[in-house]
Amino acid sequence: MNDELKYIGKPQPKFDAKERTTGRSVYGHDIELSGMLHGAILRTKYPCAEIISIDVSEAEQLAGVECVITAADIDANKISFKEDHPVLKSGLVSCIRDEIAAVAAETKEIAEQALKLIKVKYNERQGIYDPFESLEEEAVQINQWQPEDSPKNVSMTFEYEHGDLEEQKSKSKVIVKRRYHLQKMTHCCMGSSNITADYNPAEKKLTLYCGTQVPFLYQRDMAHCLKMDPSRIRVIQPVIGGGFGSKLDVNPFEPICAFLSMKTGRPVQILYSRYEEFLASPTRQSMAIDLTSGADENGRFTFREVEIIKDNGAYTSWGATTPFVMMQTFSSLYKMPACKLTSTAVYTNNPNAGSFRGYGNPQATFSVERNIDLLAEELGMDKSQIRKLNSNTPGEITGQGMHFRTCGLLEAMEIVAEKSNYESKKDMEQSGRYRRGIGLGSMLHVGGGAKIYRSDGCGTTLKLDPYGCLTIITGSSEIGQGSETVLAMIAMEEMGLSEDKIKIINSDTDVKPWDVGVHASRTSFIAGNSLLGAIGKMKEMISPRAAKLMGVEIQDLVYEKGLIRCAQSDVQIALDKVVRDLHFMPPHELAEVSYFYEPPSKYQDKGFKGDVSGNYAFAAQAIEVEVDTYTGNVKVLDVWVAQDVGKVLNPMGLQGQIEGGVVMGIGYGLTEETQMKDGYVLNPNFHNYKLLTASDVPEIHFYPVETNDPAGPYGAKGVAEAPLIPTAAAIANAVSNILGVEMNELPVTPERVLKAMKNKSELTERLV
Amino acid sequence: MSYDFNIESPQTADELLAVIAANQDKNFRFGAGGTDLLLELKRAPQENLTVVNLAQLKDPIFKSITKVAGGYRIGALVTAGEVLDHEEVKSEFYTLWEAAHNLASMQIRQVATVGGNLCTASPSGDIACALVALHARCEIINTKGELRSVSVADFSTGVRKTVIQKNEVLRSVVVPINSNPNLHSGFIKVGTRLSMECSVVSLAYHIQMDDNRTIRHAGIAIGAVAPTIKFTDSACAFLIGKSKLIDTEREEFAGLISDYASPISDVRASAWYREEVLFNISKGLME
Amino acid sequence: MKINFTINGKGRAKEIKASTLLIDLIRDGLKLKGTKPGCFEGECGACTVLVDGHAINSCLYLAVNVAGKSITTIEGLGGEDQFLDIVQEKLIEHGGVQCGFCTSGMAMSIKSYSDKCKEEGKVPNRNEVAKSLEGNLCRCTGYVKIVDAAISVCGN
Ligand SMILES: Cc1cc2nc3c(=O)[nH]c(=O)nc-3n(C[C@H](O)[C@H](O)[C@H](O)COP(=O)(O)OP(=O)(O)OC[C@H]3O[C@@H](n4cnc5c(N)ncnc54)[C@H](O)[C@@H]3O)c2cc1C
Ligand code: FES
Ligand code: FES
Repeated sequence: MNDELKYIGKPQPKFDAKERTTGRSVYGHDIELSGMLHGAILRTKYPCAEIISIDVSEAEQLAGVECVITAADIDANKISFKEDHPVLKSGLVSCIRDEIAAVAAETKEIAEQALKLIKVKYNERQGIYDPFESLEEEAVQINQWQPEDSPKNVSMTFEYEHGDLEEQKSKSKVIVKRRYHLQKMTHCCMGSSNITADYNPAEKKLTLYCGTQVPFLYQRDMAHCLKMDPSRIRVIQPVIGGGFGSKLDVNPFEPICAFLSMKTGRPVQILYSRYEEFLASPTRQSMAIDLTSGADENGRFTFREVEIIKDNGAYTSWGATTPFVMMQTFSSLYKMPACKLTSTAVYTNNPNAGSFRGYGNPQATFSVERNIDLLAEELGMDKSQIRKLNSNTPGEITGQGMHFRTCGLLEAMEIVAEKSNYESKKDMEQSGRYRRGIGLGSMLHVGGGAKIYRSDGCGTTLKLDPYGCLTIITGSSEIGQGSETVLAMIAMEEMGLSEDKIKIINSDTDVKPWDVGVHASRTSFIAGNSLLGAIGKMKEMISPRAAKLMGVEIQDLVYEKGLIRCAQSDVQIALDKVVRDLHFMPPHELAEVSYFYEPPSKYQDKGFKGDVSGNYAFAAQAIEVEVDTYTGNVKVLDVWVAQDVGKVLNPMGLQGQIEGGVVMGIGYGLTEETQMKDGYVLNPNFHNYKLLTASDVPEIHFYPVETNDPAGPYGAKGVAEAPLIPTAAAIANAVSNILGVEMNELPVTPERVLKAMKNKSELTERLV
Repeated sequence: MSYDFNIESPQTADELLAVIAANQDKNFRFGAGGTDLLLELKRAPQENLTVVNLAQLKDPIFKSITKVAGGYRIGALVTAGEVLDHEEVKSEFYTLWEAAHNLASMQIRQVATVGGNLCTASPSGDIACALVALHARCEIINTKGELRSVSVADFSTGVRKTVIQKNEVLRSVVVPINSNPNLHSGFIKVGTRLSMECSVVSLAYHIQMDDNRTIRHAGIAIGAVAPTIKFTDSACAFLIGKSKLIDTEREEFAGLISDYASPISDVRASAWYREEVLFNISKGLME
Repeated sequence: MKINFTINGKGRAKEIKASTLLIDLIRDGLKLKGTKPGCFEGECGACTVLVDGHAINSCLYLAVNVAGKSITTIEGLGGEDQFLDIVQEKLIEHGGVQCGFCTSGMAMSIKSYSDKCKEEGKVPNRNEVAKSLEGNLCRCTGYVKIVDAAISVCGN
């Protein structure tokens, strides 16, 4: 079917771009329901304290206040992945984000004012902010609901192993062991977190307008927390101002808002301020990775041994499961005979971490790619050569059981080396104030979903109306990534319809079929395949009738320009006419079908082995930077990205994902860090949390590698997370190469660069 | 207490002085572009506050850049954007132009004023730093219409403190004209990204040379490394009579500048980094 | 207090408080929700609107100061009869929109800057165009396509 594609592979502006550019999209911030109240949350003053008393009486008396709640006023189950997180805290507060009370009032201002009238008495306690300290014997238990079967202050451990580690160690000529420190990072969605909860007491029905990425899991989790029947909860997703993994978990403000609505019987809206967003939305996990890896005398990788300590924060989110993805990189990025990993997510009194684009993979890839550079240096090998030598290959089944039916890694590495002119840049003479050089990084990521939940499927319902317009009701969600556009393109391609004959409905759990959610770069792959399946069924319904009306054979039908025509003659019929015939002539059928797609991937076994994804994406990046040795500023000049995308569906959307991902990766590598001290967030604003701006953006050269994966729609793989994954590693490698230092901690700030230079010169002085 | 205040919006200089006079026993603040003031009031609301809104003032001295005897007068309400559009400022006082050029964003530059930058008295005020390097003087007017002049270097007396009295308002600054034909003038701002930075270290320089490229006049000011912006007298004196510096002189010169710094560590950078960078960029200045 | 102003070409009078911020007048008072709240601290530019043709952050601007002035928001960018302004067309054509939360502000900044360039008869280079957008943060696109769009508006 790949022969003559009309739409797939051609640039297509976003389906919703007109609505977005004219200011007509309704985001959560724009919702106003009649009788709506405004909610606000009182958070703790101290990161670790005992609450002695809470007095809300004054707040309750303030004119315009409808309701004030504390933990005592609600009957709720705990939330989170390990059910260790009460939505309102009593007794103890364990991190600076902790919610103590909430108010619903007639205006935002009154709600804010009421918060100031709530009197809380605390008994401050010494908190633990370093996961290594949490693991010490004398440390106190941080979360009283932590899993019973795990050691004190341990939320989750992962253990993985394949191959014969000892044998591979003995084969190794060089072994490199390093510790890498990776920082906390905040999603910084431009649209802050929000929810509008509307409880109708007469019907006992709750409607939630909220930006979740996983509406059906969310519906279930909210129901559990609120002790409600899930079918009484309707989730409507307004337009989302960015997701990036931040909206995978239920966060306390969401059930809190629902409780406020249930108590008042009126709609209640909670909008985070930017400060609150920095303080109270989950972050990328900070962690320390101890990575030991080896290579034999020919430069072939022998083993990786990994120990990871992750700062879980005070409660456990989906983010605790990131080792699931990280271990794929350790076990299977480049050919890897043996690998052993232990990862421990440790409770601290820091705000809890969550999931973030890349899902642990940027951290894992950073350590792997840094170690590769060090191995190459010890062996005296070329850094591009050693990577190519160890590249994954098509057909490979890795030690972890992942089956790379297609694999464009080698080609991607060759492309970036060639296009970046790597050979001429790798050993540039270094002197003077400004110094230039280049670094490399590669990555492996799931490309066809990831079966971490019982199903990784997606449903699609299609409806053709009597005017020939196709409504796609998809379980998948749009969070700005452009999946709607890809779905529309597939329908245009297969049904021969123009863009204005397609409608997409994807934002209401009362209407749309089940889907597991937007994450793991899965939407184009899974929802695309689901749509293709549904279109197949639709055609099974339309084609026989059309053939009959036209008096031709079914196999000769071609769908084109809103018509169905016969390939052998000039007979044709308008699609809408066929639909009307179906509807109005006996046996009177609706042109409506439903289809559920479940990818062929497997749930992994207890040892985390198995073919977890429908396919796998690969990418390589080469990054040229300039270091100002006076200030330590690192300027990224050029980024060359080659990525195995399977097949380019929408080049415009793809390029946008690549550029957005790379720039996010540069931020992760150079400027972004949620800075913490003793449990407090030091930079909860855009002033001090440094997002890159338009002037910081380098030239980004992108080369798609098409491997036409048999499992993907038209051969496509997931693309969205990949571009940010190897970026920070390549930057740190470049800076390390240029200065002859080791940048093993992110972000590579100007200060760290100058420190590294200083340490190096002091060391040489001492040696001289 | 929440964010709220009364407002007075005088339209003329006389009305302004009258409003100030009428509010002497009340709590009031001036608002020009509001880019510092509104953030401050949202963070720390004040009770019974009146904002004397300068944004609607039509007075030409407050609002324009004009050539006067011995220099250029820049009104307190001239915006960073207007500084950028002024050809002579660009050619004569590049350090000021470059400071305005790198201040915040296009939107902020549209409203942020020169007077606001001085009166906010932040150690990392960029326009203020350039004006110190330029030996500019502030013209302050009181409710009686009396004018006094204070050098910009002495205008700020500490973080968020200035010499302005309650019955006074900053009307304008005067930048003296250059006395030499050749200029080495610019503004160095160090931060983690290229833009939207509150300076971690800033350095304004305005060095004038005669026809033989011998330095005759030097103004170098540093920001964000002490409670106030510092004019580096001894480093400037060191340059006079020289034209090029050899390596050791450059280090000496950088050392002289660094002597004026007493930085602190904060969320943006450590004191160590500020010192190190200040030394390095000072060295680089005369390369 | 009562102020008179023009919004998207139409004269209006509105009762406001002295301390009302322009963004609140626009979103809550006039119910024009296309102007977005991103930070309320002048850092992100999502709230950018035009006052007398110049881009400003409506979150750091007192509503009293639009008295007698003309405001343009994203809803009025296309003017009375056009559906899409060239800025909007180019943003769509170049793929400069993902989640769209920054888009209104971006469009207003591009409008303001490109008008200024036209007035001065100047065709800016890529760095200059990027610089004019430094006050508009975007988390999704990496800016490349937005700058592309802005360049093509300025080049026209
Ligand atoms: C996002 C952002 C980025 C910024 N980036 C920079 C930057 O890069 N560099 C930099 O230097 N600054 C920066 N600032 C700070 C600010 O924009 C500047 O200091 C600006 O010049 C202040 O001018 P304004 O007119 O807005 O001052 P306002 O906020 O109106 O006033 C500031 C203070 O001065 C007083 N005041 C104002 N005018 C007078 C007068 N005529 N007489 C007496 N007192 C007066 C006010 O009462 C107030 O205390 C930034 C601010 C923001 C929000
Ligand atoms: S909301 Fe105004 S700049 Fe962010
Ligand atoms: S498109 Fe999402 S923030 Fe710019």
